[in-house]
Amino acid sequence: MQTYPTRPQAAPLALNVPLEQQLRERTAELEAARAELVDFAYSISHDLRAPLRSIVGFAKVIEEDYADRVDAEGRDALHRVRAAARKMAEQLDDMLKLSRVSRSELTREPVDLGDLAREIATELEAAAPRPGVVFDIAPGLVGWGDRRLLALLLQNLLGNAWKFTSAHASARIEIGVTSAAGEPAYFVRDDGAGFDMADARRLFNPFQRLHGTAEFPGTGIGLAIVRRIVQRHGGRVWAEGALEKGATFYFTLPGARIETQAPVREAALT
Amino acid sequence: MTDTILLVEDNADDEKLTLRALQMNNTLNPVIIARDGAEALELLLGTEAQPFGLVLLDLRLPKVHGLTVLQRMRADPRTRLTPVVILTSSKEEADLVSGYAMGVNSYIRKPVDFHRFTEAVAKVGMYWLMLNEVPPPMSAPALAAAQP
Repeated sequence: MQTYPTRPQAAPLALNVPLEQQLRERTAELEAARAELVDFAYSISHDLRAPLRSIVGFAKVIEEDYADRVDAEGRDALHRVRAAARKMAEQLDDMLKLSRVSRSELTREPVDLGDLAREIATELEAAAPRPGVVFDIAPGLVGWGDRRLLALLLQNLLGNAWKFTSAHASARIEIGVTSAAGEPAYFVRDDGAGFDMADARRLFNPFQRLHGTAEFPGTGIGLAIVRRIVQRHGGRVWAEGALEKGATFYFTLPGARIETQAPVREAALT
Repeated sequence: MTDTILLVEDNADDEKLTLRALQMNNTLNPVIIARDGAEALELLLGTEAQPFGLVLLDLRLPKVHGLTVLQRMRADPRTRLTPVVILTSSKEEADLVSGYAMGVNSYIRKPVDFHRFTEAVAKVGMYWLMLNEVPPPMSAPALAAAQP
């Protein structure tokens, strides 16, 4: 019987030691970066909000206590100061939400995305009933991932679909699974305002907005959160759409098994 | 029972805004201010300590952290039952969990919007100083006897 060496015999140390060392160094680097992120988020949360409270608060003090000495133009200026500070506070909160996704622990389990989608749809309908909107949720949509993060992902995608169809009297929001490059790709599709495909990549950047806030409110953090969640699962996310013809958001969850009776169609990859 | 409020706040702007908010809500209770954690501990547990009806406690304080102030308060029979409301900028999960674990009565994140800030301070004052009933001051042995 012939035995095979389990590892190359020549200079194992010369090869292995630097590798292990590299790995250790890399791990230490990652750990340091993670700790820095936690500190940074804590500091944003504590230190950067306080000055904003002063700006908003004392602008209000001028408005209230010096009303007789501030004219209409002055009041407008103070109003703008307060609005800008409030917006910044909202953006700080959003950055924290995004960093919380990066910091939270990932526990994978089979998650019924259809159940989650139905719960979210019910919440959206309860908050602001729109009888013209139909949710079409494929049966047996099971994904492999972190339940809390996947719920947050669907909240953002369904919330967007709900928001960007709000200018239409009737709308259809579809949640299903298809196959992309041999991999199951879950999708959320709407027939709302859509977007220009030239902007498809920019969509996922934090605070990137393609519509005016007067048209559709929001700070533009939702899709950045979606991308971060999918990245944490090692998956891919992409979008297809056309102006006034709706949008479809796809995401993959590696290790996901398709357990659905829904017809599987091939999605066009961007 | 005392109706004096202890405001533990190191930020001068926040101090002024909190006092203004209390004033606007016609809260006439006397307010004593501690500008760091050590000052707060001296007022609460020092040689000339006095009782307070409500402590509004910031977390990120110079010298002694707000959570340490809370911990020392809860360890001392004189302040074990004093209502403490954390009034701070952050709602980081770690702070929330530690605060409640150490026996805080409420946790309020200061809203940036002054109108909402005023409203929050008004509600806290109204609830803790008017609606809420607190047990009568207990001597140390009585409190020890009440421990499970």
